[in-house]
Amino acid sequence: MLITLVMVVGLAGGAAYIYKLKADNATLKANQIELEKGIAEQTKVLEQQKKDFEAILESNKKLNVLISTFKKDLDELDKRFNKGKRDIGKLAIDRTGAIERIINKGADNAARCVELASGAEHTEEELKATKKSEINPECPSLANPNYVHYE
Amino acid sequence: MYTMNKILLIAMMILLAGCSVGEKRVKIFSLEEPRAKLNLPNPEALDLEKIKWIIITSENADEVFAKLEAEGIDPVLFGLTDKEFELLAKNFAQIRQKLQETNNLLEEYKKYYEETE
Repeated sequence: MLITLVMVVGLAGGAAYIYKLKADNATLKANQIELEKGIAEQTKVLEQQKKDFEAILESNKKLNVLISTFKKDLDELDKRFNKGKRDIGKLAIDRTGAIERIINKGADNAARCVELASGAEHTEEELKATKKSEINPECPSLANPNYVHYE
Repeated sequence: MYTMNKILLIAMMILLAGCSVGEKRVKIFSLEEPRAKLNLPNPEALDLEKIKWIIITSENADEVFAKLEAEGIDPVLFGLTDKEFELLAKNFAQIRQKLQETNNLLEEYKKYYEETE
């Protein structure tokens, strides 16, 4: 009788242990799935962060290039007034008509640059310009995107 | 009598179980609604008026004013020295560059926040 009781209790204990193991196994499986989901989400976040950093770097690079072209354009403008011993005042006294035409052409070009900077569409001629004689010398980088600067 | 009790017991069980079906549970779920895009129209591009510069020297001044009068324009000019004209040209270039820089920044912000969403 006692042996039978011990056996029954033993079997019941074994069965309970197996149930516990099964339950633990199910919990571990669920945990594993959650962890994998978490890792996948983290990977996605990291990829997005990488993309964002690249976009930020690209934007900064673009802005720096733009600012360096500004500097170049201003230097070019300064050169046009003061290249060598050029004195625009004396030139205007000596060749009034010619300088007046140059000044007016330059003013028109400068005004066109402002229009383009404010978002105006490029004309066909501006886009096609590749030679120095065809460009807007006030802002070639803005007005003539296909022009490659040469000396 | 015993059978009657059994039937009553089963009937009560069915009745009580029926209570558990009762009202449907309210389900609360949340949907993430993305923020509406600003989508302001791009500012209109400038269309500037054309202006004409006149160079006056001590030699051509009379001729210039006479020409203005002949054309029915008030014989008055607002003057700049050659150095001031140079400064005006540089100021104009700087304003244009600032405009270009600001527009570029706006484009980049738009691209960054609207293309990554």
